[in-house]
Amino acid sequence: MFELRSRWSRVGAQVLATIIVLPFLAALIAMVQGSFAGQGWGNYLKVFNTGVVPTYFLNSAIVAASTIAIVYVITMFAAFGFAKLRIRGKEVWFWLILAALAMPEAVLLTPLFVTASTFDIYNELIAVILPIAALQVPFTILLARGFFEAIPTELMDAGRVDGAGTFRVFWYIVLPLTRPIAGAIVVLTLLNAWNAYLLPMLMLNDPDKQVVTLLPSFFMSQYTNDQTGVLAAAVITAVPVIVAYLLLQRSFERGLSAGALK
Amino acid sequence: MTANIVRTPRRPGKRIGLGAGMPWILPALILVFGMIYFSIGFTGYVSTLDWNGFILSPSENVGGDNYVAMFQDPIFWTALWHTAVFFVVTFTIQTAIGFSFAALLHSKIHLAPLYKVIIFIPTVLAPATMAPVFRSIFDADGQFNWLLDHVGLGALARPWLAEGATAMPVVMAVTVWQWTGLTFILFYAAMSQIDPQILEAARVDGASNFRMLRSIIWPLCSGTTLALATLGVIGALKTFDVPYLITKAGPNHATEFLGTYIYQTMVQEKHFGYAAAISVALLVIAIGGGVLMRVRLHKKEV
Amino acid sequence: MSTQRFGWRRAGAIAIAGVALTTLVACSGGGSAPADQGSATEGNITWWGWTPDKTNADKLIAAFNEEYPDITVEFVSKPIDTYDSVIGPAITSTDGPDVFNVAPGSANGGVDTFQAGAVDLRPAVEEALGSDWESKLATSGVDGLTVDDKVVGLSAGAVYSGSVWINQDIFDANGLTAPTNLDEWIAVCDALQAAGQGCFVQGAGQWAFDMDTFEAIMENVEPGAYVKASKGEMDYSDPAFVTGMEIWKKLFDEGIMQEGAIGLQQYPDANNAFMSGKYAMVMMGTWYTQYAVKDIMIASMEAAGVSNPVPFTMIPIQFPDVADTGNVGNMFGDADYGLAVSAKSEQQAAATTFALWLATAEGGQQAVANTLNNIPSLKGVQPQWDNIDLVNADAQLDALKELTDVAGASTQPRFASVSADLNSAFRDALIGVASGDVQITDALENLQAVVDAQ
Repeated sequence: MFELRSRWSRVGAQVLATIIVLPFLAALIAMVQGSFAGQGWGNYLKVFNTGVVPTYFLNSAIVAASTIAIVYVITMFAAFGFAKLRIRGKEVWFWLILAALAMPEAVLLTPLFVTASTFDIYNELIAVILPIAALQVPFTILLARGFFEAIPTELMDAGRVDGAGTFRVFWYIVLPLTRPIAGAIVVLTLLNAWNAYLLPMLMLNDPDKQVVTLLPSFFMSQYTNDQTGVLAAAVITAVPVIVAYLLLQRSFERGLSAGALK
Repeated sequence: MTANIVRTPRRPGKRIGLGAGMPWILPALILVFGMIYFSIGFTGYVSTLDWNGFILSPSENVGGDNYVAMFQDPIFWTALWHTAVFFVVTFTIQTAIGFSFAALLHSKIHLAPLYKVIIFIPTVLAPATMAPVFRSIFDADGQFNWLLDHVGLGALARPWLAEGATAMPVVMAVTVWQWTGLTFILFYAAMSQIDPQILEAARVDGASNFRMLRSIIWPLCSGTTLALATLGVIGALKTFDVPYLITKAGPNHATEFLGTYIYQTMVQEKHFGYAAAISVALLVIAIGGGVLMRVRLHKKEV
Repeated sequence: MSTQRFGWRRAGAIAIAGVALTTLVACSGGGSAPADQGSATEGNITWWGWTPDKTNADKLIAAFNEEYPDITVEFVSKPIDTYDSVIGPAITSTDGPDVFNVAPGSANGGVDTFQAGAVDLRPAVEEALGSDWESKLATSGVDGLTVDDKVVGLSAGAVYSGSVWINQDIFDANGLTAPTNLDEWIAVCDALQAAGQGCFVQGAGQWAFDMDTFEAIMENVEPGAYVKASKGEMDYSDPAFVTGMEIWKKLFDEGIMQEGAIGLQQYPDANNAFMSGKYAMVMMGTWYTQYAVKDIMIASMEAAGVSNPVPFTMIPIQFPDVADTGNVGNMFGDADYGLAVSAKSEQQAAATTFALWLATAEGGQQAVANTLNNIPSLKGVQPQWDNIDLVNADAQLDALKELTDVAGASTQPRFASVSADLNSAFRDALIGVASGDVQITDALENLQAVVDAQ
């Protein structure tokens, strides 16, 4: 982005970036310190000794993967539709979708539970996946729509002239250009699905079905609050998402500057 | 320009415009309406009741009483004011940091992946686990005051969370800490989409880095900024985790937000109808704010 | 065009769904019991609660299975903060728990809120203990969990507050004795602070514990006043309350409460501060007794971040005579939790067996007593002190036994008479007065206004 020609500006940029990052790092260090207080690695052992870590991680992974799949497909289709296609009352539909973002989760619990009970999906992962996806979709569509709008229509016209239908234009021309925003959407959704707390707390009671966010509750009860265990659990829970982020960002940020208008 | 046809047959060449968008947005509409709108309708109905929230408990229809009470409730207005201030401050800071950081990291900086990870990790951490850590950092005896002492600013040391005036800045600081990573990711993605040829051309014309940032990169990221602003407004309205977990909306409602107030009235005081009324107000404000955001920035663009 | 019709069709579908749900809400109440209630000695039941913690729950269930091996009980912990949000929807469905925790009043899990979802246990308990069953159980447990003659839950045990726990080792090291009045308390804190040691710690941001401290002050100023006023039988403008509030404020102004107290929570902040030895005094109730046990204290110190912890001698003392009235030793408490049986449960018989066993049977109550978390509701049950490995039995045993006796004899409730609105009002009043943001007269007026509106 910036050409840092002089040594001076390169150092300056590095220093600036470091200054920005330091406060973020400080709190993280405090947290990791806390997770090692007392028994040190023993705290981590304590977390694994609850015996549920593999199951919880597996369930969280299933929830995250399913939510990401649903959100990605729905978002890409809808954002394309909103950005490039003709729809009667487009803005109205768009705002109706966006308005759904405004609901605080606590208010949603009772109606969602009734829905889950009625359709007999209570205590199933799907009862958690669908609402989380529904809560993600408005924002991801908002984000993606901007991206799609920025893609020049000439590209698509070129495809149409060559005889491609709408879907082919979407699949072969437009979609490959959306990598950066797709990456952002995947990361966002992964975050929210992985960290979902209230909904799984309500819907999932079978220990075989519970997710990673319920891990700290092993260390918190009415009269005890084992901070060291909670923090160790938090670190363990955060690691997969960080790894996923590192992997994803590399693959989605491969430059797509070249050949856009080819 | 071709005529406005909604349904498009696949006849190549004749029409240049693309076809009907409805089937494309249908899955989104079904998902959102099915899951959420039901809840919105339910909340709207409940806001006319005097009910403790437990389905089997009796409820009494009180019409608009909850809304009347809400407009006369000083805590409601305090919470609303806090939300507004909170949004402006945190959005500005997050955008400034996220944008600058994204720009910096797009340039050749050492250890870029490390920096990216550090700013990202806070977004992954559940607020519930970090809250006691922050309470301990900002305690009268905590690490922050220790730091102030050691850089010679000891006079500023105080119990940050025990005073109304300083509790809110702490809540804002923690929020910025938690969510700047998200802003960063989105700006970074937006900047990836910028055609380097544009930047190259500007550089050839002699534009300085700062100039490029202001006149080229920032406008090109406006879509992202708009999206973040919309999310920021709605997020500020819903803010619950940080103020509830760290300060329990205190002391003395100094960090009361609409989200925490809804929680208090709904879960602690069991005035579900009243909480629903506040939720409806929240929804109205959210839509209003979002529309405003989009209209203003749309105007700017055109 | 069809897009318009599409929109209307969908709107119609939503409206129908909405009407369906609202009908459910509007025509609520009186869920009929399922026809088959299952066997009383066999079954798989689920138990939801915010307490006890997993270790203790396992112990209780294991003891239960010694008498009833064919009933499997699965305990699912639902943390206190989210308990109400999740239990509400859950007990309206057969998918929910069979047995669930309830508490007095409108606190989380409050019987006032959830009584419509529970089965009346009166017939069952009369059958088990006879028609004079009420005299066999602690009054606070029975009254607190009964709503309009319906026995919503059976108390597993009670907790009492009004005590202060001190780190005897720190006191000994500094040559101090436990304070018995306000002046002594200030002197002790001055001495400890001069020695670089923290004195008294409270997470005053967690106002439930502030209410405990205030009730303790009021019990010292005028016994019984706190409860009377919460029921509307006495006015908050009474001079007794003014005195009480002044003393409350003094605790902050005179440096007894640590700096920044209202920014902290009792759990985990204050608890960890006491356990790690940073402070020498903390106001906790009978539930803290469990930490006098060596293993539990070590685990708790490790949880507070102490490596290689050396357990210290922790002693309960009565709340100091802060008003110089001589009214000491007044504790207050109510049921910590009770067990209720869900009206939608398909195994009500087995669920009732479990609830009855835990709350009224010797075996269950003895198991509860031995956890030291709760004081059993069945009269005459004491923890088996001989089997319990205290940190320092010589110094502690007598004090602990006395605490248990004094607590058990107390008659004043803790939260049972405080409505949810009054609870919120106390929060504003106590924290407001402590920080100086609210005048004492205004605070008391607000409390009175809430009680008047009830």
